[in-house]
Amino acid sequence: MAHVTVTDVTKKYGALPVIHGVGIDIADGEFVVLVGPSGCGKSTLLRMIAGLETISGGTVAIGGRVVNDVLPKDRDIAMVFQNYALYPHKTVADNMGFPLKLKGAPRSEIEAKVRKAADILDLGKLLDRYPKQLSGGQRQRVAMGRAIVRDPQVFLFDEPLSNLDAKLRVTMRVEIKELHQRLKTTTIYVTHDQIEAMTMADKIVVMRDGRVEQIGAPLDLYDRPANVFVAGFIGSPSMNFVPGRLSMASGQVNFVSDKGTVLPVPEGTPDHGEPVIYGIRPEHIDVRPDGLSARISVLEPTGSETQIFAHLGGDPVMAAVRDRVAVTPGDTISFRIDPYRAHLFEARSGRRL
Amino acid sequence: MRPNTVGWLMLAPTIAILGIFGIIPFIYVLYVSFHQWNPFGASPDMIYNGANNFRRLVFDTEFLTSIAFTMKFAFFAVLSEIALGYLLAQLFMKEFPGRGFFRTIHTLPLIVAPIVVGSVWRLMTTPSIGIIPYLLKSWFGYDLNIGRDATAAFALTVIMDIWHWTPLVTLTLLAALLALPKEPFEQAQIDGANRRQIFWHVTLPMIRPAILATVFIRLMDALRTVDEVWMLTSGGPGAATRFVGLHIWKIVFPKTDYGYGAAISVIVLYLTLVMCWLLYVALVARRERKRTF
Ligand SMILES: Nc1ncnc2c1ncn2[C@@H]1O[C@H](COP(=O)(O)OP(=O)(O)OP(=O)(O)O)[C@@H](O)[C@H]1O
Ligand SMILES: [Mg+2]
Repeated sequence: MAHVTVTDVTKKYGALPVIHGVGIDIADGEFVVLVGPSGCGKSTLLRMIAGLETISGGTVAIGGRVVNDVLPKDRDIAMVFQNYALYPHKTVADNMGFPLKLKGAPRSEIEAKVRKAADILDLGKLLDRYPKQLSGGQRQRVAMGRAIVRDPQVFLFDEPLSNLDAKLRVTMRVEIKELHQRLKTTTIYVTHDQIEAMTMADKIVVMRDGRVEQIGAPLDLYDRPANVFVAGFIGSPSMNFVPGRLSMASGQVNFVSDKGTVLPVPEGTPDHGEPVIYGIRPEHIDVRPDGLSARISVLEPTGSETQIFAHLGGDPVMAAVRDRVAVTPGDTISFRIDPYRAHLFEARSGRRL
Repeated sequence: MRPNTVGWLMLAPTIAILGIFGIIPFIYVLYVSFHQWNPFGASPDMIYNGANNFRRLVFDTEFLTSIAFTMKFAFFAVLSEIALGYLLAQLFMKEFPGRGFFRTIHTLPLIVAPIVVGSVWRLMTTPSIGIIPYLLKSWFGYDLNIGRDATAAFALTVIMDIWHWTPLVTLTLLAALLALPKEPFEQAQIDGANRRQIFWHVTLPMIRPAILATVFIRLMDALRTVDEVWMLTSGGPGAATRFVGLHIWKIVFPKTDYGYGAAISVIVLYLTLVMCWLLYVALVARRERKRTF
């Protein structure tokens, strides 16, 4: 096990920069998730840590050793790829034992370690099969088994669950988390799915366009997103944003949207002359009498909650409520917004106020 | 099964061609091989003589030597072509200036007809006028005379075949290499494999089907080489390069012994099939074995 330090890392493909100075500190045993929209450079960063891509600038250190010029095979890492990258011509057992075989481990040791990993992952019956004879979920598990058998310093996962169906994804998510709690190996996990990030991570790194937008614990990111991008990216359904300004009226600061809707802000919010963006998560809007009245445009009941798309004055917002509400599109409904759940961002920079 | 007239109609041209140019001649050769038939000889009729042609062939030392030489030729030629073809394919996978150009021109030998290849190589190797004996003489002081030196003549037929057919191997292996997914190779690097181990444990098993297909194609071709070698050495000196194809040719054309020639053809076909089958068993069927530990 080891801590991993990424310092000011940049990556250029030819003249095209794709990673612009990323720094991340990963403690020993930590489960870190890199999350961000497609093309933001998550895989590239992970592959630089693995040694599969050259590092154009900055350093990557694993366990205190700078590994910029160390070959992947000497970095003592294990990686699970999105499409599993099993060796098609090897059986499950041979796939899992291959790293040990390369190290010249004795047969009995390989046998024992493969057996143990197979037990952990419930692969015992599949050891003599070829990858093409396995289902997606089983392949996924073999790929993880191959990583476990290594007992590496760091696990690297690149979207390992995105080829699985929704239900299996949830199961595997829990399995990976359990595995981590058991092995306590430092793990870097790439995903574009913010739910995976929220549920699995000790620490989330939100990336966009080759830059880190925010690093923090899942709930920190949820409670105090550093900017509009993170606020919109973390949380599902995603946050409502209303552009407008803060204005002083009768001794109290209020938010007035560009369309004229007045929304509550926490007491003591400083007056701010510049345009701002008001953010409120759908789950923080309640249906209560004597609130702000809104006209319903669409209802999406999911069973556990109902998503109400409505217009507050001229501004479209979405509320997610757990109670069943007896309303139909076109009706008027009364929303209450908890001012202490509201987030205010500077409109120009997108930064949190 | 539903009747599929349209399907059979669509297949009809192929079946007709296969029948006219493949199956009917084959059956005819088989038929001829059980006869004594020398249309330009004293008795031009086809006379049924049972398995006599085949009996004769077992004691025909010329034939047996030609088989031995052919095998040796096929072995050296195909082995070198595969090795060299693989190296070239790997080279063409790399980025280097002019890669596209070299990828294109290296295939040029393939479009030259064997008979032309043979004549050109003959010109290049004829003592006193060819460039190859000249260079060998002036650089190494070696006298190349394929009209006299049996080993040199044999080696030269192998080299000519390599020159002519390696590009085919390069092309197929290049196609196979280009089609490989890159993840297993990255995975192998992470798993701790060095380049040699990656070659043996990942690359080779993954392009194995392509290699096998190429070996089969080249082997069958090499076993029936005629025209190139005919032009280069005419089978000489002595019988050093008298491969079985040439042997058949000599029996069928100058001697017009059609029955016997047909019998040899049938046996050679049979031997080729047996060899391919053995190769298949050794290299393909073995795959379905258990894990290695
Ligand atoms: N070999 C390459 N040459 C040039 N540009 C590349 C190369 N590989 C990746 N890129 C670019 O680098 C950027 C980051 O790619 P990367 O694969 O890291 O994205 P990602 O965050 O993993 O996205 P996804 O979620 O879709 O996997 C992209 O804009 C991509 O176009
Ligand atoms: Mg990716």
